[in-house]
Amino acid sequence: MADPHAGRLEPRVIPVTPEFPVRWDVPEDEHMPWQFDPMHFPNPLPRWENELWCEMANKGMSPAFAGYEMPIRARGKIFNDYNYAAMFPVVPPEEMEAQGKKAEAALGAAMASMQERWEGEWLPEIKEHLAFWDACDLAALSPEQMLAQYDATLERTMRLWHLHFEIVVPAYAAMGLFDDLYKDLFEDQGAFSAIQLLGGFDNKTLETDRALWDLSRKATDKEVRQIVTTKASSQVVAALAGSAAGQALLSALNAYLADYGQRGPSLSVYEPSLIEDPSPMIKNLQDYIGQEGGDPRERLAAQAEERETGLAKAREQLAGYPEKVRGQFEFLLQAAQVGVVLSEDHGFWIDFQSTHRVRMVMVEVGRRLAEAGVVAEASDAFHLGMAEVRDALAALPEGDLLWLVAERKADIDRHRGVQPPMQLGTDYGPPPEDPLSRAFGKFFGTPPEPSNEEGNLNGHAGSPGKIQGTAKVVGALAEAEKLQQGDILVTGTTSPAWTPLFATAGAIVTDTGGILSHCAVVAREYRIPAVVGTGAATKRISDGQVLEVDGDNGTVRIVG
Amino acid sequence: MHIVWLEQPICQEVQRVGGKVANLSRLAADYRVPPGFCLTTAAYGAWAEAGSGDWPAELVRELNASYAKMAERCEAESLQVAVRSSAIDEDGQSASFAGQYETYLNMIGAEAVIDAVTRCWASTRSEQVLEYRRQNDLPVDDVQIAVLVQQMVPADIAGVAFSANPVNKNRDEVVINTSWGLGESVVSGTVSPDTYVVSKSDLKVLEREIAEKEKMTVAHPDGTREVDVPRFMRGESTLDDAKAIEIAQLARVLEQQMGWPVDIECAYHEEILYLLQCRPITTLD
Repeated sequence: MADPHAGRLEPRVIPVTPEFPVRWDVPEDEHMPWQFDPMHFPNPLPRWENELWCEMANKGMSPAFAGYEMPIRARGKIFNDYNYAAMFPVVPPEEMEAQGKKAEAALGAAMASMQERWEGEWLPEIKEHLAFWDACDLAALSPEQMLAQYDATLERTMRLWHLHFEIVVPAYAAMGLFDDLYKDLFEDQGAFSAIQLLGGFDNKTLETDRALWDLSRKATDKEVRQIVTTKASSQVVAALAGSAAGQALLSALNAYLADYGQRGPSLSVYEPSLIEDPSPMIKNLQDYIGQEGGDPRERLAAQAEERETGLAKAREQLAGYPEKVRGQFEFLLQAAQVGVVLSEDHGFWIDFQSTHRVRMVMVEVGRRLAEAGVVAEASDAFHLGMAEVRDALAALPEGDLLWLVAERKADIDRHRGVQPPMQLGTDYGPPPEDPLSRAFGKFFGTPPEPSNEEGNLNGHAGSPGKIQGTAKVVGALAEAEKLQQGDILVTGTTSPAWTPLFATAGAIVTDTGGILSHCAVVAREYRIPAVVGTGAATKRISDGQVLEVDGDNGTVRIVG
Repeated sequence: MHIVWLEQPICQEVQRVGGKVANLSRLAADYRVPPGFCLTTAAYGAWAEAGSGDWPAELVRELNASYAKMAERCEAESLQVAVRSSAIDEDGQSASFAGQYETYLNMIGAEAVIDAVTRCWASTRSEQVLEYRRQNDLPVDDVQIAVLVQQMVPADIAGVAFSANPVNKNRDEVVINTSWGLGESVVSGTVSPDTYVVSKSDLKVLEREIAEKEKMTVAHPDGTREVDVPRFMRGESTLDDAKAIEIAQLARVLEQQMGWPVDIECAYHEEILYLLQCRPITTLD
């Protein structure tokens, strides 16, 4: 047996630098392995949002880990307005292996029943929470009712994040274990041979993009096409409203937003969702109208066919293997196929549908605080902490927090320019070599080998194919306007709201993520090359450079 | 009489079929032995006499018919068979020929079988075999050989068992070595198998030594091949106690019936235990 602790270094306290000062308000926090997560939280966050994601680790991840008998727990903490999380062991080192075995058994049982639980348990509960929020007329609540709604919102949000991790842990574990097993069984395979066997299933992200595609096919009227394709994305809705011919598309567009518009440009409560500001999806609509081929249904069917061909080949090769091998292959295949769908669908239902509703509650809270003059405008409420918001609500109509909001905003502006270190506190060395850690690594990505050639970047294979194109570095979805057909989208990370852009981009290059990251999964569905987790693409590459993206080998070459 | 079936009484005549097949034939009636037929020494004689290396036409016809009949019995569309040589003086009490002659696994189709049988016959003239025979005072100019064609069990777990402990000579201990896949990796020693010691008198598992099994032999369209065992099952025990006891019981019964301590090869396929070989242990004294 390989010793899971072999090669681990002695714990090392990470020195604090003057550029990123840290004061250890709780002394034991210095001994925690705090990890920055640029894939989900690359920017400094307003206080309320930051506390929400800390609570997500404390009350979402930790109970899910405990439920699966895992020997670790999670905690979130804010450093200079950046969100950090620590995963730390809760059993002594000598008990880690035994506890790990228990977790493997619990996760194995969970993998076997994911689909059943999703349909019978998880999704119904998620929908029950969403219905709770939908049933409430926020503007009509009395002050006491508003306070109760705020408390209930926090409680239900945490319950939803608990469900979130109850879902994603076995889902990603199944995908990771399947990939491991495949590589054990078949030699000389490319990075995607295992992953290909999980492709071609419909999911809510694809459904969302497909609905947008179908919407684009409705813009057949000449005048309507003229409006959509020539106006700036922020003015299209108004222009459609002002045109008799535009009414049909406008109502289809509103129907689309009602079903799919509960998502912002990134995973955020602070940023408006598409329902509030549809500009990013209008940009997608504009691109789609100009595209002739590229029916998403055809892409999905092609992917499903590749999957079945690959699967038949794998099964033929395994025909003479012991039953235990074939049994495990089929078990993990099925779990991973469910897992890959849930890895998108949980995001639709929890990360976006519920977060949008939480945002709506906070917008109403902000409106009330602003109305009473406690803060200047509704969105300022996000700069208060969770308890501060509650206290401010309870004290209405009294209160003045203008000074605090101003202070917090100034802090964020100050911190925006600093580079947060990847790790703070104590470094315990690389994670242990076990299946679950490997699965996490395939999602978040591990640091790439630095490229020894000038002008080259190494990352992880994200989606197969090799292509040349013009780089467009897109920091925020609002900047996506500059992306033209065939351009290479270079970005820190992508959230599902970005994925319609994948129909326009020729390839994707990201700073963060691994082969199982959301971006990689969707790029494969769009059948465009992707290199993920380069660590530095957005810094090393600039607009207009010509890149060669090799998605199979996970490399990017700056050609000129 | 060129081809005889395991269950036919004539298949117990050592001079026609060799010790290995005669033993199996005795067992086929009472134990779960995969069906098979034997090309007797007469078949070898007819081939050797022709001298050209080609098969007499009549023998080809007989082989084709026998293979088709076995496929029908096994309800297999493309029957996988193992082809093994069985020397006339092999598997006697005095000297074990284990590994000295050829074995071809996972042969599919009569043509492949004919090819494998021919190679078994030709192997009697290999320098390695002749040297072995010289060392064991066996005749080198008048070699007689039979060849067994037997349904191949696509084993999930396979191994060997000794009805007496060949290491400490304890006659009350059954020693079992098993590994994943076909038995070849255990027999040829390319994998460190799991070891189980079971007491013969009360069928209790006395010892379990679970090895890190890195390789296994699996059936493959081109025959067999040795591949890596996937990580998740390398350190897993191949047998639970019930299976270890089932094998020990089989070894115990066989020893009683044969009247000598036995060395058996066996395999599990779909949870059913098959007996593949049974020989006397030659190293106890």
